[in-house]
Amino acid sequence: MKIWQFSEQAYHPAFQAPGAMRVTLPQHLCDPREAGRLLNRYLDEYMLADELGINIMVNEHHAAATCMSTSCMTTLAILARQTQNVRLLALGIPLANRSNPLRVAEEIAMVDCLSGGRLELGLVKGAPYELFMSNRQPTGFMDRFWEAHDLILAALGNEGENFSWQGKHFHYRTVSMWPRPIQAPHPPIWMTASSATTARDYGKLGYTCATFLSGSVARQVFIGYREAFAAQFGHQPSLDRLAYLCVVACANDRTEAFKRAEAMRSYFTTAARCDPQFRNPWGFNSVDANVRTLLAGPAASRPRMRNGKPLPVDGTIEEYMNAGLMFVGTPDDVYEQLAAFHEETGGFGNLLMMGQAGELSHEDTVDNLTLIAKEVAPRLAELPDNPLEVRYEAVG
Amino acid sequence: MTDTIGIEGLDFGTLSTIDVRGTTIELFRAGSGAPLLFLHGLDGIDGAAAILAELARSYSVYAPSHPGFGGSDQREGITRVDDLGYFYLDLMDALALDAPVVVGAGFGGWLAKEILTKEPRRASSLVLVSPLGLVTAERREQYVADIFVMSRQELGKRLQLGEPGPLQNIMSMPEGPLRRAMRNDEAASLYGWTPYMCNPQLADRLHRISSPTLVLWGAEDAIIGPVYREKYAQALPQAQVESLVAAGHRAHGDQPQALAERISAFAGS
Repeated sequence: MKIWQFSEQAYHPAFQAPGAMRVTLPQHLCDPREAGRLLNRYLDEYMLADELGINIMVNEHHAAATCMSTSCMTTLAILARQTQNVRLLALGIPLANRSNPLRVAEEIAMVDCLSGGRLELGLVKGAPYELFMSNRQPTGFMDRFWEAHDLILAALGNEGENFSWQGKHFHYRTVSMWPRPIQAPHPPIWMTASSATTARDYGKLGYTCATFLSGSVARQVFIGYREAFAAQFGHQPSLDRLAYLCVVACANDRTEAFKRAEAMRSYFTTAARCDPQFRNPWGFNSVDANVRTLLAGPAASRPRMRNGKPLPVDGTIEEYMNAGLMFVGTPDDVYEQLAAFHEETGGFGNLLMMGQAGELSHEDTVDNLTLIAKEVAPRLAELPDNPLEVRYEAVG
Repeated sequence: MTDTIGIEGLDFGTLSTIDVRGTTIELFRAGSGAPLLFLHGLDGIDGAAAILAELARSYSVYAPSHPGFGGSDQREGITRVDDLGYFYLDLMDALALDAPVVVGAGFGGWLAKEILTKEPRRASSLVLVSPLGLVTAERREQYVADIFVMSRQELGKRLQLGEPGPLQNIMSMPEGPLRRAMRNDEAASLYGWTPYMCNPQLADRLHRISSPTLVLWGAEDAIIGPVYREKYAQALPQAQVESLVAAGHRAHGDQPQALAERISAFAGS
């Protein structure tokens, strides 16, 4: 199993402000010098990950104190030059929230060149509440996503003459990548899923499929992916096509590890602070999905604990661990918890680890990453690469 | 062909479907008399039940659900109210509605203008109730409140003076009405997300409207502000403008009887 360090790069001093952390939070609550210090600190932690042999994942959000990286590619442009060895994953670029996919392709190509071909390319839908900043049309979102995807891949991998593109949503007279990416025809593609149905779409394409903080649902996602992959390609995918994102808090003693987990727990409570009218813009989800969600009630979409009850947003560390969203303890504890989860889900080859989250300090992050790299990673690397158990069971 | 979907409050007429160039459109019909085409707002024909009942006393009422709303199909390629205007000319031809009384509420008022700027003689008279369609903001100044950034509770309160009805509580709706409400919301987003609830080209076309026109504003509309109403008067100088007392944005919900009486008095029957 490969490990990736990920931080949302929060402006945590704003966590004390009342109300929402997204969309409506006024920017005067941001001290830009403090923001600069924090951003540099998170970059230092990513550079440490490079030294420790931990791969790097970045994301982006908009109008949010929970994440100051407003562009994956801006953050990765810095890391492409300042790191030497590890893979650099953007997970991801919110494609349907971008108005100009050709510009997206140019940034991808430039970062791939700068990094010597170390870029991994996550293409994601984007958070629904960020439509209020991009102001892109909520309806037809996925149609636009796939046209942007097709255009970006055609641009990155073009070995022939420059071409023009007259699509339904995007129109360009000349598509020409200067520079073009090192990795041909394009960097490896990643996408994210929280259901088996979506995972099947990615399985058919052979893209790497990640699931975020989904606990027991991860197993369903992975089964859906493997089924579709096997049907398309005639063999099982290797586990490096599957990824799981969670919070990891490690320390030499359990008390310290739980203290770290507590500092990271504010990631969950602040990420959820968004006024309800922004969570699901009209026309963003399909009518079927909206009807299903509303009839099922709000608890239905929460991750489940082992007793089947929904995980409360303000749950305890133990509850978050129980649901498979946090892995906490000594290096031995963390290894055992992750190995058990690996087995329960049928196996995944990428651990997308929030080694920093919420209010975890720099010193604690450094120690957390170092311990994981030195004492957990080598053992995780020994986990089998093939699916532990392949069962063809019906999944929704 | 009569649809089997029963819509609460619409038990005084018939619900059928018609085919317009391959697109299935849901049509509610009630009453007898001179033909009247009712163009619903974002609340669909479901939300217009009270005014339709009143109008059916004097008119032969035709109330279709616009493409994408209620039980009407979405039509590929229709993404703007301008497109809907052309589609409605086909729909009126299919229904042999040559020049009916045209009544549009809110979003339907916008649609009415899109139709009649294209073929001005297709209405014997036009009544616009709390109409949208003109530019809703100028840079940082909003003339029309943004329904897409309001909580459901706030929107429910602001849409009319009276208490929000069961059609406005999506948290406790049975599947049938909920599906229709979600389709209405999706259509509202398709046609009105950006530029917000308007066609910036429309104002310069309004001079073409030649039928007698009455614009009615709910005196206590909490969605559309006074600057917008003033701009409307300037863009449509040929229209008579009046306020309905004790009515909010959904004037057709607050004052169905007074509104129907005013329509009859203006348009004749």
